[in-house]
Amino acid sequence: MAITEKNISNRLYFVAGCMFLFAMAVVVKLVTIQVVEGDHYKKKAEDSTIRNFVIEPNRGNLYSDDGSLLATSVTRYDVRFDAVTPKQEVFEAHVKALSDSLSLVFGKPSSYYQNLMRKARASKNRYLLLARDLGYTDYLRVSNFPMLDLGPYKGGRIVEQETQREHPLGAIAERSVGWEKFNAETSKYFGVGLERAFGEYLRGKQGRRLKQKIAKGQWKPITDYNEVEPVDGYDVVSTIDINIQDVAHHALLTQLEKYNADHGCVVVMEVETGEVKAISNLGRTKSGTYYERLNYAIGESLEPGSTFKLMSMMAALEDKAVDTSTVIDTENGVLRFYGKAVRDSRRGGYGEITASKVFEVSSNTGVVKVIDEFYGDQPERFVNRIYNIGLNKPLGLPIEGEANPIIPYPNDKDWSGISLQWMAYGYGVELTPLQILSLYNAVANDGEMVKPRLIKEVRQWDQPVKIMEKEVLNPSICSKETVKKLQSMLKNVVEKEHGTGHRLYSPNFSMAGKTGTAQKDYRDKSKLNYISSFVGYFPAEAPKYSCIVVIHEPDKSVGYYGADVSGPVFKSIAHKIYTNSPLIDTVDELNKENKPALKSYEAYYAKVRGSHQAIPDVKGMSGMDAVSLLENLGLQVEVEGQGRVVKQMPKSGVKIEDNKKVVLKLS
Amino acid sequence: MSNRLDWFSIILYILLVAIGWLNIYSATYSGDTASSVIDMSTMYGKQMIFIGVSIVLAIVLVSVEAKFYERFAGVIYLVSMLSLLGLFLFGKNVNGATSWYAIGGMTLQPSEFAKAATALALAKFLSDIQTNITTDNKDLVKAIGIMMFPALLIIPQPDPGSALVYTSLFFVLHREGVSPLYLYLGFMAVVLFALTLIYGPLWVILGICTLLGFLYYFMNRKKKRIKLYQLAAVIMVMALYSYSVNFIFENVFEQRHRDRFSLWLRLEDDPAKLDVIRKTIGYNTYQSEAAIGSGGVYGKGFLEGTRTKGDFVPEQHTDYIFSTVGEEWGFIGSVAVVILFTALILRIIFISERQKSPFSRMYGYAAAAILFFHFAINIGMVIGLLPTIGIPLPFFSYGGSGLLGFTMLLFILLKLDSNRINEWI
Repeated sequence: MAITEKNISNRLYFVAGCMFLFAMAVVVKLVTIQVVEGDHYKKKAEDSTIRNFVIEPNRGNLYSDDGSLLATSVTRYDVRFDAVTPKQEVFEAHVKALSDSLSLVFGKPSSYYQNLMRKARASKNRYLLLARDLGYTDYLRVSNFPMLDLGPYKGGRIVEQETQREHPLGAIAERSVGWEKFNAETSKYFGVGLERAFGEYLRGKQGRRLKQKIAKGQWKPITDYNEVEPVDGYDVVSTIDINIQDVAHHALLTQLEKYNADHGCVVVMEVETGEVKAISNLGRTKSGTYYERLNYAIGESLEPGSTFKLMSMMAALEDKAVDTSTVIDTENGVLRFYGKAVRDSRRGGYGEITASKVFEVSSNTGVVKVIDEFYGDQPERFVNRIYNIGLNKPLGLPIEGEANPIIPYPNDKDWSGISLQWMAYGYGVELTPLQILSLYNAVANDGEMVKPRLIKEVRQWDQPVKIMEKEVLNPSICSKETVKKLQSMLKNVVEKEHGTGHRLYSPNFSMAGKTGTAQKDYRDKSKLNYISSFVGYFPAEAPKYSCIVVIHEPDKSVGYYGADVSGPVFKSIAHKIYTNSPLIDTVDELNKENKPALKSYEAYYAKVRGSHQAIPDVKGMSGMDAVSLLENLGLQVEVEGQGRVVKQMPKSGVKIEDNKKVVLKLS
Repeated sequence: MSNRLDWFSIILYILLVAIGWLNIYSATYSGDTASSVIDMSTMYGKQMIFIGVSIVLAIVLVSVEAKFYERFAGVIYLVSMLSLLGLFLFGKNVNGATSWYAIGGMTLQPSEFAKAATALALAKFLSDIQTNITTDNKDLVKAIGIMMFPALLIIPQPDPGSALVYTSLFFVLHREGVSPLYLYLGFMAVVLFALTLIYGPLWVILGICTLLGFLYYFMNRKKKRIKLYQLAAVIMVMALYSYSVNFIFENVFEQRHRDRFSLWLRLEDDPAKLDVIRKTIGYNTYQSEAAIGSGGVYGKGFLEGTRTKGDFVPEQHTDYIFSTVGEEWGFIGSVAVVILFTALILRIIFISERQKSPFSRMYGYAAAAILFFHFAINIGMVIGLLPTIGIPLPFFSYGGSGLLGFTMLLFILLKLDSNRINEWI
């Protein structure tokens, strides 16, 4: 060991130095590729060779209450033609046959298609549209047409598929069913109707799959599983009843067309549960046709006019300001406050009538007088009644765009000396049709105000994920006593001859409701227009459904009264529901023997047999009666001709024998 | 006895093995099933078991009498060499290399254990009182023989990477007083080799002439005469070497070898050809660099590496495990791992220096050299600093034999170190 300590240290330093140098080199290199060129590699890593592909989940279906499809996702195919790819001889060999096939399916002449494809080939069009939005079977059929069946590389077939939302019921409730789209820029969903409201359930979750770029435009999945599995959307069962919806839609459409109205809406709701069975909103287009444009029933608040008198009567009855039998002077049809007049629709008014009749004939002066006299010096008491019911708040529907109601309060800035009086018959306040309907529904439901619901349940396959329960907004909007009185008044509106809704009266089924003929744009006489409405429920005695019909701007020359314009829609819906859902009485045991009846029947039968020992005289009877009578006596009957019996063989009085033949001549 | 074990090293060891396992987990888990961490059907599960076996091995190694290692170093070496020879008869071919024994469902790679055995044998030989490598060239040749014999057995497997490891033991000789000339010559050879490939022999020779010309001029001014013929001889040898490098590179090497070097030295300028290289011979390096580079400063996070998940880097769980570190833990994580390794190696050198017995000291140096070589070559390769030479990253790379081999290498030293007090007896 002929080495010194210093020598060893030096050698150690040399080794350590080499290590240090190397470590520095490593760090420098790491800095270069991770910090300096890090972004470059990051971009490269993400963009060019590997990318997360989004796998769209299947959107859930939207069902009506009985399970009919309202909206579903369907795959549609566009078939295009690359006119350059096929070889010349292939093109020439098949172009005629392909044109013939296309012509057969799509109707246009064969020469049209042939011309189209030849032009495309001449102009080197590689993306000629042949057919759009094909269903799967049509797509298969077109794919097997000559030339196209050679595939993309020989035949130039290009197929693009996309998922479309389809509404199997067509335009019915289209607006309420709605749609939903995704805005890539803001990464937010937008849309309208049930699709939007319950998009969260319907949408599902996107999946992701890592793919590696192997060539231009070609991506290879990296693993044999998805990094994130897509989760399909849930199905949503709505409360919409397609039959009622269908009736409501067409009844509204008919009436809109008849009155050439601007727009209208109808909502049918189940009284007890608040389930919306039908909702239809139709607006007129420039061309004069109607289609579901805006959700008027939910999004458009309006001055309710006379239909709001229910609220006024409710308040007055609750506060014992009047009773149904209190006599009120309608003041010859005109009442003036600060120079402004409240007028009745009938000139000269109705004279002195009971409070109940005031409501039934819809006397403006009568209602205003009651409210003014009792609440004139304490208007907040009246408004508080409205507030306590909750009419000042929106219903809080999950659907976007619900309009806020406007109910002014006496300390508001624009509260004036006539605010209370005008409010009493539905002006200066604004409510949406659905809000008005929930008030009437509450009366029908014996005072319990329920929240309108559009969804019954959310389900995955056949398993409910979430069941929407009935929601009570206000368990009791007024006393039972008041409800009963209001119910009878609403019934009288239709039933009594003086009632404004008597034109709807039908002896076959009972309805209750209130007409409304509100003036619109009344500040400018030249633009004066009407909103005709009818809101009510049926059957009047045991309310099952409530319904509101609002029609804006009917042609005044044809008519504008609520009972004329909107009433028929209400009536036809009620009528249809009655005829479609007959009352059914169930019997425990059909074949139960009723001994006394049986006994008396036997006695009766014996008596009948006894009294007809001989063939009766059937001359002059209708053929049908004669045949049944004689056959009941055990005779065989032969009939010649039609009409009444003119001759019988054998004659009457001949003794009856079983299976004896009787010939009847009819004329 | 056990409280004299160097706990600092043990903690570093545990940290490296644990971090290594996490990265193997990330590189090999398939994401679809949440199976147990010791699931034998997965790589990370197997590695967990190897870690368990390594801990048992470490306990056994420190329980054995320290004298055992010095006394039986020769026997251990002999057995190890026999196991390497046995591969020629009974070896199992995996991925083109006959480096494994298949015993029951397990495979064993004897070359991983030969490193520790060679270190023991070399230390034993050099520490012999009769051996003097500084004065006796025969002893030097014998020492080199002990070092390079296993390399000779490993090259034909073929596993040139593992064979190259044994050259690292020259550091031990260097520490023990062998003239540095050998190291300098080796160093010069590598530098000239690289320079020739980059600039061509003509420029290299011109450069050498200029450099030596200056040297000659300054030396003459300092009155230290260098004879011209010596100078000419040096230049001649270098020129010859340079030209032969060029000749060998152009005529003896195959294209794949040439590509490997041109990739390393960034010789290729043509983007089209560069692209081809990237897709063929340089694929691993390119993918590895891209994975590490995409990690950025902070990394993408555990199990979040898209390139790791996408299996872009071949052999990521073995030789290229560091690319997972780079992608998921970023610059910070990479540097942390480098620091851990450096700390462990420095600690081993420190431990070696405090040994009183020359055997322990030399063994310690051998262990440090082997670990450093692995660490440097592997990380250098993964980050594109050095050409592709396939050797594992100690404690990190997947593989039972490798982990057991390195555990053996470290814990024999720790046992020897714990026994240093008794060395005077």
